[in-house]
Amino acid sequence: MKTQSSVSEKILQAVIVFLAVLNLFPIYWLISNTFKYSSEITKMPPDWFPKRFVIDSYIDIFTSTNAARWLLNSLIVAGVSTALIVLVSTMASYAFSKLKFRGRNFLFAIFIGTLMIPKESYIVPLFGFMRDLHLTNTYSSMILPMVALPFGTFLLKSFFDSIPDEIRESGKMDGASEWTIFYTLIVPMAAAGIAALFILEFVKGWNDYLWQLVMSKTDEMKTLMVGITSLMEDNRPDMARKLTGASISAIPMIIVFLSFQKYFTKGIAAGAVKG
Amino acid sequence: MSKYNEESSFLSRLYKERTGYLFILPQFILFFGLMIYPIISGFHMSLYKITLKKETFIGIDNYVRLFQDESFIKAIMNTILFVVTVDTLSIVFGIIVSAAIFNKSNKYVSFIRGCFYIPVAVSMVVMTVTWTFLFSPSQGLINFIIGSFGGDPVNFLGDENLVMPIIIFVTFVSNIGQVIVLYVAAMLGIPNELFESAELDGASKIKQFTHIIIPLIKQTSMFVFINQTISVVKIFVVIQLLTNGGPNHESVTLMYYLYEKAFRMNNQMGEAAAIGVIMFLVCLGISLVQLLMFREKSNKKILNITSTKRIPSREEKV
Repeated sequence: MKTQSSVSEKILQAVIVFLAVLNLFPIYWLISNTFKYSSEITKMPPDWFPKRFVIDSYIDIFTSTNAARWLLNSLIVAGVSTALIVLVSTMASYAFSKLKFRGRNFLFAIFIGTLMIPKESYIVPLFGFMRDLHLTNTYSSMILPMVALPFGTFLLKSFFDSIPDEIRESGKMDGASEWTIFYTLIVPMAAAGIAALFILEFVKGWNDYLWQLVMSKTDEMKTLMVGITSLMEDNRPDMARKLTGASISAIPMIIVFLSFQKYFTKGIAAGAVKG
Repeated sequence: MSKYNEESSFLSRLYKERTGYLFILPQFILFFGLMIYPIISGFHMSLYKITLKKETFIGIDNYVRLFQDESFIKAIMNTILFVVTVDTLSIVFGIIVSAAIFNKSNKYVSFIRGCFYIPVAVSMVVMTVTWTFLFSPSQGLINFIIGSFGGDPVNFLGDENLVMPIIIFVTFVSNIGQVIVLYVAAMLGIPNELFESAELDGASKIKQFTHIIIPLIKQTSMFVFINQTISVVKIFVVIQLLTNGGPNHESVTLMYYLYEKAFRMNNQMGEAAAIGVIMFLVCLGISLVQLLMFREKSNKKILNITSTKRIPSREEKV
């Protein structure tokens, strides 16, 4: 009985490992093909590994498209939106967690109630609003709607809730101002939560697509995601260029994930278990 | 007189509590300006016929027209099919994989979880580009593999019967990592003692799975259901790149139809706004379930904290 269950256990684990690796295979296939000559990509039967490791596709995409500019735009949009989200939601969640004011619970309930509303559902009026403000085709229009979402405040509140109130009170006794207490005493204690939010939001900003698509009118204002799909819709360039665009966007995210895996899992779990 | 007093005490209270308001102010300006206001203005727009020159009030005509539109009905049916299949697949597959790995070594858990999560981290856009390449009729690896087993090449994205299954498949494999991360975290939080005593009672692994794991992660399953539903409802790029909603609007969803009406057709902004309102109401309904769960859980929190303090969970042990 015992051996039978351990055999089936081994089979189960083998199947899971197989599926896990299989799930990664498309990304391997994407990246490995970008290091082949473009003629080798469509060759049948295919080479499972690049025969010679060449970077021609990367040279091509950076010289004949605006890919470098798209990369810069993505960095700006993801970087600035993340910084702003961390700033405004750290402040707001501190207030919701530690300060007392009239309407606090009611306002927080509105936040929770709208937590799951995707901005894609109000993309039409938001588009009209940005057009009326003459903000289409600007970084602000791509960044600010992401900062408006309540997710960060919701995520961080649970981290602030776990900090004892006595810390704030001891700061008060020493005569420190609320702002000083906030950034010298409380923020450092919520550092793990802030780091998790930072990484989750950076990835979200980098990977945001539909809103950036409708906001970017010129090729220079495209982000990497929008640039990649515009390459896909163009029938002229070969497969190599399309795949390389996707690869340029994927590699930084893989590096971010492998470096900060702990924060990803912590942040995702905190956003769910605590809510 | 007493009214005056009440008012001044109200104002002085507001003033006394100003720090709290100031701390939430930046978030609230953006939240009301760029989320609440557009949502309300979406309801307003959906009642108008909008052309470049003018806006005419037409009541609920946009909604009436939508429900008479075959493509819109198709979009609703596809969205429901999409949500139900992706949710079911994700929950079943996510629970099984997570239950099989969560009590193994840290390194092994990180490896499996990482393999499933990397496609999520690199985004739907990248995954869709990759799958478009894999499914491509003449240059795709999948048709090569079919061919090497002696099969005929399949025109995956041109076949009406295949497009929805392929869209569902690509969405499922590109999102499953998120679900596994959530389930593994929830299962690591189950007190180890429960498994130990079940082991002593001679309960089989399958019994432990159905009697301990499934009931104790019920809330996570609820969250996964809500979260997956909303991420599936808003999926756009998979359809845009794989099929453009085709062939013959066979693979159109609410999100894609909204985009098409708003940004690909002329003078249909009002109808697009109406689709947005419908999507908003669906997501709000699901959100309210989340709100009720949150309420229920804050009441239970005190109990949870005392119980986890007494029994070391697996997470703490590792």
